Amino acid sequence: MKLTTVEETKAFGRDLAGRLRAGDLVILSGPLGAGKTALTQGIGEGLGVAGRVTSPTFVIARVHRGPLPLVHVDAYRLRDSGRLDLDDLEIDEELDRAVVVVEWGEGVVEQLSDSHLEVRLERHDDDSRTATVIGVGPRWTS
Amino acid sequence: MPLVLGIETSCDETGVGIVRDRVLLADAVASSVDEHARFGGVVPEVASRAHLEAMIPTVQRALQTAGVTLNDLDAIAVTSGPGLAGALLVGVAAAKAYALALDLPLYGVNHLAAHVAVDVLEHGPLPEPAIAMLVSGGHSSLLLVEDVTKTLLPLGQTVDDAAGEAFDKVARLLGLGFPGGPVVDRRARDGDPRAIPFPRGMLTDPSYDVSFSGLKTAVARWVEKHAGPIPVADVCASFQEAVVDLLTAKAIRACRDQGVDHLLIGGGVAANSRLRALAEERCAKAGIVLRVPRPGLCTDNGAMVAALGDRLVDAGVAPSPLDLPADSAMPVELVVA
Repeated sequence: MKLTTVEETKAFGRDLAGRLRAGDLVILSGPLGAGKTALTQGIGEGLGVAGRVTSPTFVIARVHRGPLPLVHVDAYRLRDSGRLDLDDLEIDEELDRAVVVVEWGEGVVEQLSDSHLEVRLERHDDDSRTATVIGVGPRWTS
Repeated sequence: MPLVLGIETSCDETGVGIVRDRVLLADAVASSVDEHARFGGVVPEVASRAHLEAMIPTVQRALQTAGVTLNDLDAIAVTSGPGLAGALLVGVAAAKAYALALDLPLYGVNHLAAHVAVDVLEHGPLPEPAIAMLVSGGHSSLLLVEDVTKTLLPLGQTVDDAAGEAFDKVARLLGLGFPGGPVVDRRARDGDPRAIPFPRGMLTDPSYDVSFSGLKTAVARWVEKHAGPIPVADVCASFQEAVVDLLTAKAIRACRDQGVDHLLIGGGVAANSRLRALAEERCAKAGIVLRVPRPGLCTDNGAMVAALGDRLVDAGVAPSPLDLPADSAMPVELVVA
């Protein structure tokens, strides 16, 4: 899917939010500036969660309360630390009651769930983006 | 005159400061930044462990420097939020233990308010109301300070990346390592700030919010498209100029709109030499008095917590309960938990 503007990236996030339910794991991949946080802002809007969705880089994980809570994680710094246990992040929310969106999560957090949705974001020379959505596991293939 | 010990552990610095009546007696800091450098940023678990190891030695070092003993203390202040949950917990637990053992009042204070309060140690009482701009790896906030012992009013913040985070990410793009702030500042000195017209996110937006995500992307795009060796100094200088132009423009506008003639800049990014220079220049032009603490007091430290604790004792503010929690998302309006 082609996304020409930040607004379109957010709109795509809002659409995506409509298909998500509690316990879903979404992994966002793509280079710096690909639109991972913008997409998550759209997902947050779609889920109707509280608080502004901003970059989780500094705190690594942030919880947004809502009818369906959003846990927003930046796994970049956990990629090299050898292992990842989301318990270490002290996320104050039951992960199976929330939608968990992990930026830079590819190859790191798949084991958290038997299914996940991967969204690959690519940035092109004309500043447009392409989003590729891949569903993995029984939740997305049955 | 009360003697206040302040503890700061919200991120990667274990800081212990001792203040008596607006005079800084000791400011001991142990940093775990070297341990985080290989991860390209602070790792919460690593930070928590480092705090645990450094906590008591750092307190002892501060007491020694100040030439006082634990029994001389009159109050304990500690950053209870916002920050990394596990890191905060170490400082809060230590502060509670000292307060309980020594039978002293305990103040769980807001990290951002402490960044505002620290300037009193260097420049004397801050005339209120003032505008405070706090810029660091985790924060980019414009605040109206009417009384730092009561509440801070948020005017604006970043809608995406924090200012310091933008420095870290651009440094990552250029392969300059972590943390990005000091190295970008240094490399920028040999570069032309007008070489590349990078965007100033939300400069013309009527709010006091700022955005650095588009700028980061613009730098990434420019670097990718550039043929031949990257002119690192020019990229650093032009990127840095975009950040400080936006920050100072918004801060000056906030001062004008609010009819305030004192601007305080704090947080790690306040150590940036170009931010200091441009803020100085623009404040002078606008008739605004600029106050920026020296770099060692801008980055996270225990002195700022002790300085705020000292003000709170002085103002007769009620201490926090001993079951004080660490609150990673402590709202800026709340000065004492």
